[in-house]
Amino acid sequence: MNLGLPEHLARESMSRALAYAGQCAALVCLAIGMIVAGDAALAAGDAALPGASRDDLAALVLLGVQAILLLLLARHTTVTLTVVYLLAGAAVVFGVTILAMTPDNGVDSTNTTVIALPQLALVLAGGAGTGSLIALAWVVLAYGLAEAAAFLGAAVGGGTWVPNAATAAAFGLLVVVRVFDGVSRRADTRRETGLHRASQQTRELALRHDYELRATARLHDTALSHLVAIAAAGSGPIDERLRSGIRQDLGLIVGRDWAIDHGDTSADHDVRGAPGSSAPARRSPSVQATRTVLPEAIDAAHNAGLAVRLTGDARVLASLGPSRAAALDSAVAQCLVNVARHAGVHEAEVAIGPGHGDVTVVVIDSGLGFDLDAVPDDRIGLRTSIRARIEQEGGTVRIWSSPGVGTTVVLTVPEGGA
Amino acid sequence: MMLRIRLTQQEADPIGGIAAAPIVPIGSALAVAASIGLTFVHRSEVSSTLAALLGILLVAAAGVVASVSALPSRAPFTAERLWLVVSVAVGAAITEYVSTLGADRPLVGDYGPLVIGILILAVAPFCTWMSLLTAGMLAAAVLAILAVGAAGGRLSGDSLVALVALDTLPVLALSAAAAGYSYAIVGETLAWQREANSAALARDAEMRAGIARSVQQSRVSVLGREVLPFLAGIMTADRITVADADRARELAEALRRALKEGIESTWLDDLAGSIAGVRGVAVRVDDPGGAARDLRADQRSTLTALVSWLSTSGRSSAITASFRARDHEGVVTVSATPAQQAPVRRDLERFVVVARSVGMRADTSVSRDNVLVEFRYDLE
Repeated sequence: MNLGLPEHLARESMSRALAYAGQCAALVCLAIGMIVAGDAALAAGDAALPGASRDDLAALVLLGVQAILLLLLARHTTVTLTVVYLLAGAAVVFGVTILAMTPDNGVDSTNTTVIALPQLALVLAGGAGTGSLIALAWVVLAYGLAEAAAFLGAAVGGGTWVPNAATAAAFGLLVVVRVFDGVSRRADTRRETGLHRASQQTRELALRHDYELRATARLHDTALSHLVAIAAAGSGPIDERLRSGIRQDLGLIVGRDWAIDHGDTSADHDVRGAPGSSAPARRSPSVQATRTVLPEAIDAAHNAGLAVRLTGDARVLASLGPSRAAALDSAVAQCLVNVARHAGVHEAEVAIGPGHGDVTVVVIDSGLGFDLDAVPDDRIGLRTSIRARIEQEGGTVRIWSSPGVGTTVVLTVPEGGA
Repeated sequence: MMLRIRLTQQEADPIGGIAAAPIVPIGSALAVAASIGLTFVHRSEVSSTLAALLGILLVAAAGVVASVSALPSRAPFTAERLWLVVSVAVGAAITEYVSTLGADRPLVGDYGPLVIGILILAVAPFCTWMSLLTAGMLAAAVLAILAVGAAGGRLSGDSLVALVALDTLPVLALSAAAAGYSYAIVGETLAWQREANSAALARDAEMRAGIARSVQQSRVSVLGREVLPFLAGIMTADRITVADADRARELAEALRRALKEGIESTWLDDLAGSIAGVRGVAVRVDDPGGAARDLRADQRSTLTALVSWLSTSGRSSAITASFRARDHEGVVTVSATPAQQAPVRRDLERFVVVARSVGMRADTSVSRDNVLVEFRYDLE
């Protein structure tokens, strides 16, 4: 539900409504003019005054033509039609003035209601375009034409030209209305009140609230049982059923490209990159594979003094083409450099897992973390460089981070590639 | 179409109604000026000075009635007010007729038709086009009788038609303009609303997707950011440590709390949160029963507009919105502590008008250290 008119439409709508109002009044003027002329023609006919009757009929026709043009203008308000209407209307004023000036009518000056009728219809009709200034320009032009036509008519018909009081009053009224419209809109009450914006915002708030609630409920439903199970289990080895339950549910929440199949490997492996650290106690083929596939990342971690805990099945990295593998390697390296620089911790975890046609690498640290919405500029660049690399390979990057909790970066690229 | 007959601009576009309010005193002043000017022009015909003065006074009275009736604080402008204004103005026209009884020249100096027309035009933003047109026609009928009366037996049947037509011209033309304006602006507003509503519905799916994404990024939020990596860590870990178990307990607790809060909170809490986050103005919502949920969409928009407005441009330093029920009436009280650009009553008036147009009664009170707006609405 929307209330009222929005800021951007108010001007046009008001302009059109005012123009329509003027056209209605103009039509009434012409209709009354036609009634008067028709009535006079009938009266002259009854009184057997063929000359007068012909004059009145001529006035009736002239006003009729103006009325038809006015209806046309009201339907299609274009500049051309406005100009045509103004010129034709001025001609009608001229004609009606000459007809009114014939001696039988007893009209000696142009300040008379009969001449005012086509003049009023001319001034009130308005014109194409929106806005108070354009409307005022048309009104001034129409008024000028109306009085000029009456002046010419008086000169030709042998009467005196006096500005028509009714036409001047209508002109004044129109100027007041248009100036008021222009000035009142300048006060900008609409924008200030922001009703339209508020209505959009309210709709969005309600939707968002609904979604947040649903998302919270979903997180609650999927994660709570695991958290309770972990809390209840206390310290000790992890139950495999719990592990696979978590894996399944995390997949449901964040999509299959996140933290997939970590648990497939029977054991976790340490790759100590930090200087002075002891050599890993056990080595599996997957770790050796990693050493050959993520060399840049491991080197970077080593150089930065970061211990990397590697988990998952590193063999899946072999399914990547060399340049894609290199891109992923660089991105992971960049993530680890970030951890070393900003997280304030000396170790990070890198988990590798296959998906359905994807390879996912998760870089987790439990360091300082940061507010994603308030990332400092220098880190935007790094994030972009990670993102750019991965997205170029048709992959995606997701980041979770929270101050004091740590950061999780999930890099996913499709298998294969150059 | 039916809606167009029933609605006024003030109802369809309340802010437009407020913006139009000053045109009424302007129109009334013009009407009074016209009555004085034209009385002066035909002063030679005036047979009763008292009646002439009374006529001008009645025009002024009609103008005052119209101006007061159109004040935003007295919205909505009811049909009875239009009839009152037109009746007083017609009274002025009759008095003016009486003042020149016997000496009147037809069509010269009779201000009745013009004055009634101007007043009808001035109140056009507040009346339906049908009532404006009817008022104009009825006034024209009375004026026609007066014109015939003034002409007496001096005119033949044929010129009587012309006389009546020309005499009623101002009131007919001006009320046609008023009705045309009301018809067009209500039509424009309704057309926009239809268009906006259908666009909003069409956009809903898109907006839902966007919101779903941003929710993933934001509030599943602070919690998701903690819970998901934690679970991922457990999933890939060998053992659960005591610290892990403690952390799991904490997170489970936080998760339960978040769900409870989510269920208890409403859109208004979200608005408060977003205002506090973006503009740094504390907004407290006191709505234990979740009454904000029961407000209609347009009522919510009004409340949102008010709270947003109060929170911008340094108008308030703190805002409280509290809900309570009284008999069969819901009451929302928005109270704000004024800051450097303290709101004044006049500013609040437009929200009062908007509230009225969405079926809420509203009151404001402004003091140096508190701004209070109270909306009352019927509980179903």
